[in-house]
Amino acid sequence: MGNFHCFYSLTVKALIRDRLVHIFSLVVATVFLLIPVFSMFSMRQVQELSITLCLSAISFILLIFTILSGASSVWRDVEKRYTASILGLPVSRAEFVLGKFSAIAVLIVASAIIMGFVSCLVITLITLRYPADIPVNWLNLFVAVSADALKYVMLLSIALLFSTMSTSFFLPFFASISVYFAGNASQEVFDYVAGEYGTTIPFLSRMIIKCVYYVIPNFAVFNMKVQAIYALPLTPAPIFYAILYFICYTGIMLCLSVWSFNRRELV
Amino acid sequence: MHALEIVTLSKRYLGKRLKRVDALQDLSLEVRTGEVFGFLGPNGAGKSTTIKTVMGQIKPTAGHASIFGRPATESSSRLRVGYLPENPSFYEFLTGREYLHFVGKTFSLNNSMITEQSEHVLELLELTHAADRPIKGYSKGMVQRLGLAQAMLHDPDLYVLDEPMSGLDPLGRALVKEIIKNLKKQGKTIFFSTHITADIEVVCDRVGIIAKGRLMAVDTVENILQSGVEGYQIQVSRHGHVEELLVAKDRLKEFMAELVTSDAVVERIEPKRKDMEAFFLDIVSKEKHSAQ
Ligand SMILES: Nc1ncnc2c1ncn2[C@@H]1O[C@H](COP(=O)(O)OP(=O)(O)OP(=O)(O)O)[C@@H](O)[C@H]1O
Ligand SMILES: [Mg+2]
Repeated sequence: MGNFHCFYSLTVKALIRDRLVHIFSLVVATVFLLIPVFSMFSMRQVQELSITLCLSAISFILLIFTILSGASSVWRDVEKRYTASILGLPVSRAEFVLGKFSAIAVLIVASAIIMGFVSCLVITLITLRYPADIPVNWLNLFVAVSADALKYVMLLSIALLFSTMSTSFFLPFFASISVYFAGNASQEVFDYVAGEYGTTIPFLSRMIIKCVYYVIPNFAVFNMKVQAIYALPLTPAPIFYAILYFICYTGIMLCLSVWSFNRRELV
Repeated sequence: MHALEIVTLSKRYLGKRLKRVDALQDLSLEVRTGEVFGFLGPNGAGKSTTIKTVMGQIKPTAGHASIFGRPATESSSRLRVGYLPENPSFYEFLTGREYLHFVGKTFSLNNSMITEQSEHVLELLELTHAADRPIKGYSKGMVQRLGLAQAMLHDPDLYVLDEPMSGLDPLGRALVKEIIKNLKKQGKTIFFSTHITADIEVVCDRVGIIAKGRLMAVDTVENILQSGVEGYQIQVSRHGHVEELLVAKDRLKEFMAELVTSDAVVERIEPKRKDMEAFFLDIVSKEKHSAQ
């Protein structure tokens, strides 16, 4: 695993020097400049609205960054034949895949931290102008942003798996977007089927829905936004559950990615 | 233990619409430590397929390869190897020097060693002026030179080069031949593929000829050139009058005996031989006939 670090810094360099990433950062900066303006459109609950806007902006920006960087990672190096020279060095393919993953993951977390920090500034500015009845619960805000970051790192592992199997942008891009939407809806569908309505559908269908529920990721686990927006109390149990779920699911995806890339022929 | 050992290697590609291509069939050869081995074959013969298998990039359908006794499937087998892939391509956003740094790190060289070695190989391949420019702006020949530079960076014992002269200008070709000769003097082993017969004659100790995925011949270059002698061109002068004679190989002794009894003087004897190219074309056309 000694070469893991080489691939890590290589991927960080690749992303930092990417023109698209530069343009994207400019867009992000503009979005955060616009949030105070939009918050003021609402006459009541300006603080709640600003928190909602910040959290949504962070979520959406991380989603785009994750999908674009994850879906264009491994296959592109293969198609551009960089791997022909890179994997002729005494490195293993696992190091290559895991180094790439960690670099993008670290950048996701770093962007989340930066955007979280900017959000704090924006929200503070707004509450100074329009004081609300309930003070902002900064800890909840921190937890909500962290959970979001975990969610996207997990999504990254899924995009990476698709990317190791693909020879073009389309499969990993559309597959991970589909998984993302399915993963956001899965909890609702499951609750619906598990409830009263479930007794009216055939047993087999119920079992299939249950299986699918356990295979596709459940992103609802990472949703702690409501607690942040309305400063509601947070209990530790869901947080621990989210962390555990993240570790298991991401771990499995990474193992599958390494396995799939190990089997790939580099012609 | 040989530097490189390839044992009954076969590779079948599954192409589009399940069309199968037998790129390699039962190929066995060994490259001995300290020799320069040329791997000669026409386009599509299977040279690159062999080399990719040796470097662990594709899995053979049957057979196996080992480098200094270690199976080619292990990444550590490549520690003593400098590899130049066919038409290499390197991360475009890095500069040449940064790429060399990356390569050095994967061989666990320390920073001062990497700096020193980078300087050395960049100078050797005449790339110093471009070392701090992004690879994106390199010409084809410059990329090829960088490919050779990164293969030499960690001073490996075995070089595996897939068409090292491709894309280079005549100066570059001459330089690479010079480098190969120097590496041989240092006791390094070199295995390289090419379809240019003249290069083989100049630098190789042994040559393997591959056509349609089969190894057709393996021999020393010396033997091949010797066996290709068809006759001798002899220049004799008689009473100040010079003439050229062509004498068949088996008639030479007889001819010389006759010559001694006459008053002619031998000015020059030159073997007339088929060169490597003729030998190569012979083998490839034989394989074509046998296939028909
Ligand atoms: N990915 C692939 N899928 C299907 N067939 C392939 C693939 N790669 C190579 N081949 C076939 O395998 C055979 C050997 O190809 P290879 O690249 O090893 O030839 P080569 O000797 O290196 O030729 P060249 O001198 O042109 O580089 C060819 O017939 C080629 O069509
Ligand atoms: Mg080739």
